[in-house]
Amino acid sequence: METKSLVVVGAGVAGTAAAIEAAQSGVQVTLIDENPISASMMGLDVPQFFGKRVADTLSDKESMLQRMTAANPALDEAAAAGVDVQLGTCVWGAFRNTETSRKLDGPQLGLADDKQSWVIKYDRLIVAAGSRDLVISFAGSNLAGAMGANGAHALLSRYQASTSRRMVILGSGNVGLHTAKMARANGIEVVAIVDVFPSVRGDGSLMKELQQEGVDFYTSHTLKEAVGSEDGIESVVLVAVNEDNEPVSGSEKTIAADTVCLAIGLVPNIELLSLLDCDISFKSELGGYVPDHDDCMRTSLEGVYVAGDVAGLHDGMVLNPEIARNQGRLAGIGAAESLGAIDSGEARARRAEIRAEAAARPAAVHLVWNQWLQSLVNVGGMDVLACECEEVSRAELIDLQPPRYLNWRSEQMSSRNVRTQVKDGPVDPDQVRRLTRVGMGQCQGRRCREQVSLLLAAESGTDLAKVPFMSYRPPVRPLPLSVMWPHDETDEMRENWVKWFIPVSRVLG
Amino acid sequence: MPSNRADVVVIGGGISGLSTAYHLARVGKDVVVVEKGIVGAEASGRNGGMISERTDEPDLVPLAVESVRLWPTLDDELGYPTEFVQKGRLQVAVSEAEMGRYLTECEVGERFGVHVDVLDPGEIRDLVPCVTDRNLGGIFFPKGAHANPQRSVQAFAWAFQDKGGKLYQHTAVKGFKQAGGRVTAVETTTGDIEADTVVCAAGPQTALMLELVGVRVPLATARAEIIATAPLEPLFEMALVGNGLYGRQAKKGNLLYGGGPHEWIDVDLTGDPGKPNTPLIRNIARRLADLFPGVADVPAIRSWAGVIEQAPDSLPIIDILDRPSNFVFVSASAHGFAIAAATGKVVSELVLHGESSVEISGLRMDRFGDVAPNWREELGWVPIPR
Repeated sequence: METKSLVVVGAGVAGTAAAIEAAQSGVQVTLIDENPISASMMGLDVPQFFGKRVADTLSDKESMLQRMTAANPALDEAAAAGVDVQLGTCVWGAFRNTETSRKLDGPQLGLADDKQSWVIKYDRLIVAAGSRDLVISFAGSNLAGAMGANGAHALLSRYQASTSRRMVILGSGNVGLHTAKMARANGIEVVAIVDVFPSVRGDGSLMKELQQEGVDFYTSHTLKEAVGSEDGIESVVLVAVNEDNEPVSGSEKTIAADTVCLAIGLVPNIELLSLLDCDISFKSELGGYVPDHDDCMRTSLEGVYVAGDVAGLHDGMVLNPEIARNQGRLAGIGAAESLGAIDSGEARARRAEIRAEAAARPAAVHLVWNQWLQSLVNVGGMDVLACECEEVSRAELIDLQPPRYLNWRSEQMSSRNVRTQVKDGPVDPDQVRRLTRVGMGQCQGRRCREQVSLLLAAESGTDLAKVPFMSYRPPVRPLPLSVMWPHDETDEMRENWVKWFIPVSRVLG
Repeated sequence: MPSNRADVVVIGGGISGLSTAYHLARVGKDVVVVEKGIVGAEASGRNGGMISERTDEPDLVPLAVESVRLWPTLDDELGYPTEFVQKGRLQVAVSEAEMGRYLTECEVGERFGVHVDVLDPGEIRDLVPCVTDRNLGGIFFPKGAHANPQRSVQAFAWAFQDKGGKLYQHTAVKGFKQAGGRVTAVETTTGDIEADTVVCAAGPQTALMLELVGVRVPLATARAEIIATAPLEPLFEMALVGNGLYGRQAKKGNLLYGGGPHEWIDVDLTGDPGKPNTPLIRNIARRLADLFPGVADVPAIRSWAGVIEQAPDSLPIIDILDRPSNFVFVSASAHGFAIAAATGKVVSELVLHGESSVEISGLRMDRFGDVAPNWREELGWVPIPR
């Protein structure tokens, strides 16, 4: 098996900066990014919420690759610095020895392209896997055209493959404002920016700029529903909300639009760090559960670093990519130093240069997320699906209902719900998931897990920070069996295969 | 405030313990179940969900047959769904030797009155068209079944509570108070609970629990892995074993399959042993696609691992200790889910009457005699050194 000196996962701003920094220090760097991803993966809304507003040109991988490098010029710089850039390659697994798993001869990553998978070993790992969109559902959010801001960004910049024409943006933080600007630059009409807050939350000058261009802001408003047909969203209904997030009757306003972009919040993509069992903590100001790390971007695991959104992100980072870039550089310096490519004096000097940048003071985000949830529940009700893949409504979730296909009704079951369950111990999203199947579908819970945690916290009277993390399991990308399987399976594996505690050889003998 | 006294304290909120607790609560006993984590957190909630008459293990057949008899009415009895499906168990052979072994299972079945059909390759293809052309025939148990482990554990837990039982999760056992050759109280992380009888159903922690009362039982623990695919249209309803894999198609349509080399590990008394997956899931994927060539392009979307304890002969142990004399224990050696419907009946009978109405004499601890101190080394059942 091949051993890479340093693997960087994610070729965004942070990951590319990390790769360049380490390569310039003389480290052999492998930079891996799953983009361009296949159209079929996009159809599953993995890894981002793309919302089925994807142009057909996406099936042409070659042109996608060109667009990707055009959208991120630093990739050329990385290649020039000697970085081995592997695009179109996803990391679907991360494995290491633990107390209960000792067979590996070193930490490993599971990689795959469209056709096959393979496993590599690494000495150092920098995870710069970015973020994904917070999704809170609404009536009509299953229609084509409902998407997340990160999904929209990818379609607009990286792929230039968006088919949206008229966009309503939910969320007036920097994510929403930035998305509006980018959408307009790509010829998409932004017909409304909506926030449940009484004022615009994002950057003042960017707001003015958008207002001057004629973008309408609807503060103290929420989305009642998106209406449409098989072709997707055709219009949206907005409604004003009072300070209790209750709808103001008679204030409904219907706006023609084909896209609803959720820009309410972003969530760090910590799947791989979860698989590796890095220490994580809940930090509302950084988007939820984030890996613990020090100033040098070292995680709790020897040799594993983080950089960019995955390390925790806040609204300030959206308009200032320098923050992610600096984190990337710090991680690259840390990895280079620990590999002995640069000495500690050199590392210290380079770090000092970077740390001079002003530090941001992020604010907690979950009050905002909760306000959105409350308003969307108040206007949309509890019958809206919380998990689309498995068809679990908000009500079914908090009533711990068995899945619909079991068609189970009993007096006993009707007396059980999240509130009765917490009498037996703290609310546990993994347990709720197994009973209701929420988050068990093809998107692997990416679109529902935050809403689930928010609902469980509200229903059980638990502080959101105390709601345990919902675990990830490999493969963290849906991977066809024919791709996941090892083409190089060893004879030893075949001969020593056991069915169930008895070696096949004994069964056969 | 947790209760500090009970007729019976059951250690372990897995399916064996909860089934026992349910049966005891049903007849009016005051029962407390203590569970170090949440119900079904270990093997009971993580296994493949297979239920069968186990004619590959003669000593287990009476108990397994009784369980297969009791499973079908559990949903109605408990009031909660277990996702039980009784459409048989098909064992597909992909080698002549494997077919030979299956035929032995048929003979054992005949001896115990268990009906088994022998199928030729064509009959198997008619039954399950998606099965590999490499199939050489197989056997079919019409009464074989499967259910959803998570749902089943929770069903027992809730039904137990509905009968007045007390469930203390996040409560680990630290030791026992003993006097006069009996356990008088169970010491837990949230306080002592006095008990007339203790039932130990502690899964991977069983050997450590018994050590606390001075009894050595040969059990080793291992970690095993399962993968899940995305949902598919209905392919087959029975439990289906073959190509070194065991598993089922869940009602939702996902194929859930496990098998392959497990890893021997050590556990401690109160901790939650790690359950990581390894690149072995790739080999499981390969065997699954070999078994059902038509599903090769279906995505795997999940995998998980579980920790199970194993006796040297891979059979359950169900027994009453001589000393302390009020200590009953059950350890399932990975058969726990299949026999769960009968476990509660049998173990509760041991608690109430000192004997069981089902033939389980082959599952007592004395079958091991004096086990060599290094039995794990002899079997190669030891963890890889760090």
